[in-house]
Amino acid sequence: MTSFRFVESLPDLIQPDEYDAHPDGRLVRIHISVTDDGVEILGDAFRPEVLEEILGRLDAGEIEQMLCG
Amino acid sequence: MAHVDPVERKPFFHYRPGTPTVTLAAPGCSFRCHYCVNHRMSQYGRDQESPWTAHPVDTGDIVAQASALGGCVALSYTEPSLAPEMTLDLARQGKEAGVDVVWKSNGFLTRAAIDLCAPALAAVNIDLKSVNEVSHRRFTGGSARPVIDAIRAFREHGTWVEVSTPLIPNVTDAERIAQVLAEISTDIPWHLVRFTPAYRMRGQDPTSPSALAAAADLGRAAGLKYVYVERALGEAGRTTRCPSCDFPVVRRKVWSLDENRLVAGRCPDCGILVEGRW
Repeated sequence: MTSFRFVESLPDLIQPDEYDAHPDGRLVRIHISVTDDGVEILGDAFRPEVLEEILGRLDAGEIEQMLCG
Repeated sequence: MAHVDPVERKPFFHYRPGTPTVTLAAPGCSFRCHYCVNHRMSQYGRDQESPWTAHPVDTGDIVAQASALGGCVALSYTEPSLAPEMTLDLARQGKEAGVDVVWKSNGFLTRAAIDLCAPALAAVNIDLKSVNEVSHRRFTGGSARPVIDAIRAFREHGTWVEVSTPLIPNVTDAERIAQVLAEISTDIPWHLVRFTPAYRMRGQDPTSPSALAAAADLGRAAGLKYVYVERALGEAGRTTRCPSCDFPVVRRKVWSLDENRLVAGRCPDCGILVEGRW
């Protein structure tokens, strides 16, 4: 089961000047890299649950998430 | 949890710009907002998928951490008024160390709770989701009236108050909210927040930049001097301009300070006082 860990910050992969091009908020951007510990998948989306579903289907053991506020 | 980030992230734009902030949060909230991005923490006690994830903190250590950073302590992410004893203890220790305590709150407090907590708080950012009772109850589960009263009451106590409003497309009546805020004070900074389709409102679209710009115009038309949109409108949306001469007095990057040109809280160009805790 995927667990969530709340972190201070994560890099943005979507910039504000892209908002107008995706009025329905369907844009998802994924960055996959190989690290010393394995494979790291960084994602950004207008709809958080869409990204969570993608990462969940990739069997992510833990998802790091930023909070609002 | 305890995170460190700039005070602009809460968001506060007129309280000590650029101040490092040690942010604490414990699970739980007195509202059940259908679009809460933080629902995995805030909805503890309501949702099975929101587990208890908190662990004890030493308030003395938190104050010492903030003091070493030259910063403040914020209670945010969830609802801080659920644990006023934490705020009071942080403020007691913070007073000795020169560390302020600030809140990001839903503002759903009784007058007695405000009278208890306000003297301990340097600043509060209150979410005002709607001024329409039906709409507010529908989206949060609570009444709007206590939130509006809290904005007024915290100000009466001398606590610096800023207000945030998530702009939900075709739902949020930005004009009416701006009018209500302006009736309290046109000095209140108003942060318009882009709506994120999340939790129980995944079917909606996010707020467009043009809708945010239109709402900001409505805020200014209502008389509010300081209206902000953090990201969607670029740097202009998050710059503080002198309400008298329009000189850009505080410039910001995304969620951080770029340049503070105020001199003892006054515009360097025309000398007028810009309201805030600088």
